[in-house]
Amino acid sequence: MSHDTRFGGASNPVQPAMPQPQGPRTAEVFANDADPVSALVEGLGEGPFALICLFVSPDGPFRAVTAEATRRFAPAPVMSCTTAGEIGRTGYVEGRIIAVGFPAADFAASAVMFRSLSASDPLSFADELVRSRLTLSASVPHMESSFAFLMVDGLSLKEDILAASLSPALGGMPFFGGSAGDGVDFERTRVALGAETAQDAAVLAVIRTDLPIRVFTLDHLRPTEERMVVTEAEPGARIVKTINAEPAAREYARIVGKDPDGLDTFTFAAHPVAVRIGNRHHVRAIQRVTPSGELQFFSAIDEGMVLTVAESADISQHLEAELSALANPQPPLSVLSCDCLLRRIEAEQGQTIRALSDTLARHRVVGFSTYGEQFGPLHVNHTMTGVAFYPRPASD
Amino acid sequence: MLVNPNDSLERQNEKLLRITEALMRRVEQKSEESGLAYAQFERASLLEGRVSERTAQLERALDLLQESNARLGQANREAESAQKNLADAIETVAEGFALFDSNERLVLANSRFCRDLYDIKPRLSQGLPFAAYVQAVSESRELSLPSAVTPGDWAARRMSRHGDAHSSFNVELKGDRWLQVSEHRTASGGTVILQTDVTKILRAERREREKLQHGHAQMLRATIDHLTQGVAIFDAQARLAGWNDRLVELFGIALAPSAVGAGFRAVCERISASCRFVDRLTPEALVEWAGSRAGRSSLTFELATEAGRILEAFAQELPDRGFMISVSDVTAERQAARSLQQINELLEKRVEARTLELEDALAAAERANASKSRFVAAASHDLMQPLSAAKLFVSSLRDRVESPPALELAAKAGQALGNVEEIITALLDISRLDASKDVFDVQSVPLRAVFEPLRHQLEPLARQKGLGLHIVASDLVVRSDPGFLRRIVQNLLSNALRYTSTGKVLVGVRRNGGSARIEVWDTGPGIAPEDQRLIFQEFQRLGAASTHAASDGLGLGLAIVERACHGLGHPLSLWSEPGRGSCFSLNVPLCRGPHHLPEARTVCAEPDLTDRAPLVLLVENDPSLARAITIMVEGWGAHVLHAPSGEEALDLLAEVQLRPDALLLDQQLGPGMTGTDLFQLMQRRFGAIPTRLLSADRSRELREACAAMGLEFMGKPIDRERLGRFLAAL
Repeated sequence: MSHDTRFGGASNPVQPAMPQPQGPRTAEVFANDADPVSALVEGLGEGPFALICLFVSPDGPFRAVTAEATRRFAPAPVMSCTTAGEIGRTGYVEGRIIAVGFPAADFAASAVMFRSLSASDPLSFADELVRSRLTLSASVPHMESSFAFLMVDGLSLKEDILAASLSPALGGMPFFGGSAGDGVDFERTRVALGAETAQDAAVLAVIRTDLPIRVFTLDHLRPTEERMVVTEAEPGARIVKTINAEPAAREYARIVGKDPDGLDTFTFAAHPVAVRIGNRHHVRAIQRVTPSGELQFFSAIDEGMVLTVAESADISQHLEAELSALANPQPPLSVLSCDCLLRRIEAEQGQTIRALSDTLARHRVVGFSTYGEQFGPLHVNHTMTGVAFYPRPASD
Repeated sequence: MLVNPNDSLERQNEKLLRITEALMRRVEQKSEESGLAYAQFERASLLEGRVSERTAQLERALDLLQESNARLGQANREAESAQKNLADAIETVAEGFALFDSNERLVLANSRFCRDLYDIKPRLSQGLPFAAYVQAVSESRELSLPSAVTPGDWAARRMSRHGDAHSSFNVELKGDRWLQVSEHRTASGGTVILQTDVTKILRAERREREKLQHGHAQMLRATIDHLTQGVAIFDAQARLAGWNDRLVELFGIALAPSAVGAGFRAVCERISASCRFVDRLTPEALVEWAGSRAGRSSLTFELATEAGRILEAFAQELPDRGFMISVSDVTAERQAARSLQQINELLEKRVEARTLELEDALAAAERANASKSRFVAAASHDLMQPLSAAKLFVSSLRDRVESPPALELAAKAGQALGNVEEIITALLDISRLDASKDVFDVQSVPLRAVFEPLRHQLEPLARQKGLGLHIVASDLVVRSDPGFLRRIVQNLLSNALRYTSTGKVLVGVRRNGGSARIEVWDTGPGIAPEDQRLIFQEFQRLGAASTHAASDGLGLGLAIVERACHGLGHPLSLWSEPGRGSCFSLNVPLCRGPHHLPEARTVCAEPDLTDRAPLVLLVENDPSLARAITIMVEGWGAHVLHAPSGEEALDLLAEVQLRPDALLLDQQLGPGMTGTDLFQLMQRRFGAIPTRLLSADRSRELREACAAMGLEFMGKPIDRERLGRFLAAL
């Protein structure tokens, strides 16, 4: 039921006289390239690697790419997912395959796949994860930093339960991830570990390194006073049927002041709704309007839930400020991130996509556009989450 | 707005009811199984919130822990570093170092500590008691103990010093190696031991000392051998310690090297065998001197060898109570001294003989000189008497002839006789000046008294030659001999008048500090520089001026001036420029004190007898006194007939057949008649003539005898003024 591959650390102890690490290496290739994997192999340079992550545009032959990559990068585990867009060297791109390689010199990793999410007890994943984590931890005790990185089927509807179940098993280890996407088609999202591709599945990597890291989440939205109550829902399908006892789409349109018949992804991106739990807000992003006028969400909903309309601050300025904060006191070697599709759509709508791309490129951010982000035990939307890698302190 | 305000109220109400129902269901957690995902999310979120909070707290706690850990780590590192530094520092010390704590246990020692005692080195572990350390050292095979000192002794002695606050001592190791060990008490009662390897230092020091001693000995030996004296050195026990070859050579005795250590008595006997002690010191006394152990004072004695050498020996105590005898061969010196003494004696004899000869010669010369002076004086006197007589005869003759030619002849004869008289007077002056300085009678002299008579005397001559004669009057009073001063000025004036054909002659006086400068100027031909010295010699004459009197021609005038000035100490100088004239000047010291009274008296006392020119008969057997009186009286213008005795005076008068105007008679006139005898005879023969009896005998008898005869007594030395008044009153 699970695939467990363990590489790195134990067989590859850190060499004492290594050059200053560059952190994870990245390569980028067009998804429709005749032989994209060769380009990626060449781009990542000489191994060995502890882990390879592939963010594959839905334009590409996902199964073929993962299989070839697994063969070419062996014995390094290769974890892959489909995307709703990629973040490459130049910021937001589309139709590409982004590869992130973690050199075995600096990293040790193990990855597991969780299959049939909808039919499984999440606690069994946790058991599996604990074992995997402890084994890795024992094998590379000198690598003091660690984090867990999740790729999960973005249409599985199980991200909330998965995140909430896995997080305790990680024992306080920083944990983030992204939901695999399918462009803006919302039809088929896939993940893969090695040559095995799957839907209704997730791949989790536990990564240890002796480089300093920082796992982060960014949320540029602020709640307003505008609220609504979910009066009728189908939580298993993340479908809200009525809001304020009115058909959900129409009432949402009324409250955000839009034409009920013109609701689209851009509207949802521009006018996100959030739930307030305690004094924190979590965006519940709307995926689409069903033909019957209901709203399907990207994350768990329930009846009686109060939705608060959130408004966006300047996403470009906010990103610049947050990434600069990450670069203080020392700029990271690179940043691996899962960025919500809706942010990208919001930026396109606000025509700040170029500025955002520049900011991402300047801060060496790579990753992909998601259908949702996991941060700790939470599955949320409309955020950017990720991990930054820093050079070793000079005194080491 | 939660509900659309455009709805009917019924609709709004219905919606609110449904909203309320949904919220209530939610609150009551009545979600179906299908709502599990959101519930999970909600719980996770709440949990996450609490976890975050707790995590933050934990992180803070962790930070604090890490901080304190870091401090602890830092402190540990510092402590370790300090300990390491201490160990390193101790290790870098070049000496062996060990520290014992206050419980006398070894705390630490560096690798150099006891390095050379390698057999006990392994036992020096931490915690070793001090006593055990000392015992171990004392038993070390490497330790070199002085003979008769057991390890136990050494350890006991070592321990006895352990109590000291600071101690330092040297320890000898096998193989001539040395350790200097210094021990110090620390403030906390511990003990620090420092071991320094001083082997090199000690060895170098020893080498240096040996070198120095050897060098000194060599130098001393070379010095002794180099001496020209024979040297023998004896130690404090008066045993022969050394000698040089010269000593052997001087004494002519052989000293084998084995003689070192021989007693002084034996040495002395050997010397006595070949030498004789010359002076009082006996060999026995010398042996006794050598035998006294200390405080010997230096001895000098002489020896005579059989070969005839004289040796001088000098014995002196040395600082180490030994003594040294140095012997010099003084044979040559003694011989030289003897020769020198002989020569000296010979020379002394010769000097004595020569001195006698010279004394004879001197006496002869003096006699000759005196006889010359006497001869000149006598000759002059002898000439003078007949000359005076001749003048008197001529004078008588002029009274008796009447024919003009005869009168002219008589006048010329009188003039010629006058000239001869002047020459003879000049010669007399010179002979007097040459004979002695006693001739001067220095007193206060008003210059007026000198100049005025000269003016009267010389003005006619100047007028005759058509020359102007100016004598500037002066009130100055000088210290000089009046007669000679007058003669000096007179001669200078005469000389000036003689050589000056036209123009004038001037006499002036100017004050010149403490003296009066008398200057005699003329407008004569001047004197060439090369002749200026010459003119002061006798019988020198410049230019041809033979028209003058014969006495002029003899040129005695300036010779007299020069001698008189020299004798009186009146510096004489001459300025002259040929063709323009000359100036003779002399400096005469001014008389100090008031002059007015003496001046007045002196003026009276200097009578001018020129006009009457009385004839004075002087009978005086002392030639110099007679000369003095003659010059003085003649200076006043009188004529003097002098006879040394009464008999000769009577003969002279009989010869010239003149009756003197005055008589000056000395009482003691040698073997013949006395002054008073002569006076009575003269009274009988010539009647009453003013007379003074001159005598140094101021006895009452003589005075009374004179008074009885009506003869006035004048005591010697003669009062010039009184004599002047007597003659002036004639």
